[in-house]
Amino acid sequence: MDALASNRRQFLKLLGTAAVVGSVAPDVLASTGYRKPTSLTILHTNDVHSRLDPFPMDGSRNAGKGGVARRATLIQKIRQEQSNVLLFDAGDIFQGTPYFNLYKGEPEILAMNKLGYDAGTIGNHDFDGGIDNMVTQFGKASFPLLIANYDFKNTVMDGKTMPFKLFDKDGIRIGVFGLGIQPAGLIPKDAYKETKYLDPVEIGNDMAAQLRNDKKCDYVICLSHLGFKYNDATVSDNVLAGKSRNIDLIIGGHTHTFLDAPVAVNNMDGQPVWINQVGFAGINLGRIDLTFERGKAVSNSGTAVEVK
Amino acid sequence: MQDTQEFPNLQMPMKKYVLILTLAILSACKSGYHLTNRTANRIGVDSLAAVSDPSLNSFLQPYRQKLDQTMNAVLATSTAPIEKKLPEGPLNDLLTDALLQQASQRYGKPIDCSHLNYGGIRDNLPKGSITTGSVFGVMPFDNQLVVLTLTGDMLRQFLNHFADGHGLVMGGVKITLHDKQVQSVTFTNGRTLQPNETYTVALSDYIANGGDNTDFLKKAVKREDINYLIRDALIDYVRQRGKTGQPITPTTDGRISIE
Repeated sequence: MDALASNRRQFLKLLGTAAVVGSVAPDVLASTGYRKPTSLTILHTNDVHSRLDPFPMDGSRNAGKGGVARRATLIQKIRQEQSNVLLFDAGDIFQGTPYFNLYKGEPEILAMNKLGYDAGTIGNHDFDGGIDNMVTQFGKASFPLLIANYDFKNTVMDGKTMPFKLFDKDGIRIGVFGLGIQPAGLIPKDAYKETKYLDPVEIGNDMAAQLRNDKKCDYVICLSHLGFKYNDATVSDNVLAGKSRNIDLIIGGHTHTFLDAPVAVNNMDGQPVWINQVGFAGINLGRIDLTFERGKAVSNSGTAVEVK
Repeated sequence: MQDTQEFPNLQMPMKKYVLILTLAILSACKSGYHLTNRTANRIGVDSLAAVSDPSLNSFLQPYRQKLDQTMNAVLATSTAPIEKKLPEGPLNDLLTDALLQQASQRYGKPIDCSHLNYGGIRDNLPKGSITTGSVFGVMPFDNQLVVLTLTGDMLRQFLNHFADGHGLVMGGVKITLHDKQVQSVTFTNGRTLQPNETYTVALSDYIANGGDNTDFLKKAVKREDINYLIRDALIDYVRQRGKTGQPITPTTDGRISIE
């Protein structure tokens, strides 16, 4: 909520600036002309855990919720209404229903293809069928698996993932990268084999700087399977956000956290980074609507819009 | 960019225009776009929110059908319900025997004993047909097999922890308890419990990771993570029992007794 408020304040300050500029130099505005705001809708899931069918109607808490076929309908409807839509998953696609035990992840991936996922990242449970199975199943995906802090060099996964991907939507450039959790102690060693885990804060900042500065991204998204927050110093989305620069949004997973709304954490530059996570098992679909206008990236240089 | 198409045949103006355009693009690249608004919604996925997409449904149908067949596949039969019970029940014995045998096979060498978390056994096995689905009911969690090497002292602490807590469920050992503490321990393989010798225990990653307040297990002499679900071990074992053609007769062998 604070983030929204402060964002609104900045927006008002920006309007103030525009009004001042407008009164002083109307020709400048006239020459650039009015530019229509561009909207972007980001849809996301996390920790779907092979929940292809809704939970059975057995009276338990989640009975009747979820289901990939319903998600498909919702996504189709939003795509009809919005011209710029991106759909992401934050990992742990696999494990949790007998579908995975029997089919090793194939229907999960093929369903995601049908839903038109734009990218995903890798969760710890995605190793559950072993790293060879990961190659087989991810090989069926029509979307890239983004992970910047796993070095797969000495494994069969080498070359099967990408650190980041760029998306262009009506001229807006969105950079998306992925971060995975420490496998040691969490994933059986003979499942992740020689996968090397690299510091997510260091890699995350390198990635984000590269996307912002070299790739000229207007918006930088991190798909993370680090987990929302821990009681100790373990790196989480909250820790990452606080130690980051250039990340605008973290779409998280792992901790199965049901956030009512995104949480804002100020980064190293004092800018609010949004963190969102929508529970697990496809019970929810996260939706974030962004509006962009041509011009200086206000959210990344707060000082530029100061009106005294 | 689209604007350039308005001057396809005018060479001179176009050159100028291209220059201006290039400058415009350069400056646009620097400034890019900025965010002016952001909102978020959490959309509940249920029958009220949306009907199922028919094409997704028909895509899933063959997977669903074969899955149902698999879950309904009969692995073995039992002459009576196989029930969990404390201090000892036929299900406790069957599951820990299954784990010990399958774990040793997968580990490639004999393991001294096996352990299951009493609270993690979620259902009993039925009389008559035992299906894959029945085993899923007993063990819905995706716990992986871990083999810990413990000193005799630590193993005693481990046994006392569960004897005094939520129940001791073991395979490969015969134990007598007094006042919720271990009195005597004999291994099926003939070993005895010596404080400074080491013993291998097959158990779930949940407990090995400190679940049920077993943080002391982090000091284990050795931990080996085996990529084998405990449930798969149980399914494999029950299937093997079924292949003998003999129904399972639920029994307890008195491995846990109270003095």
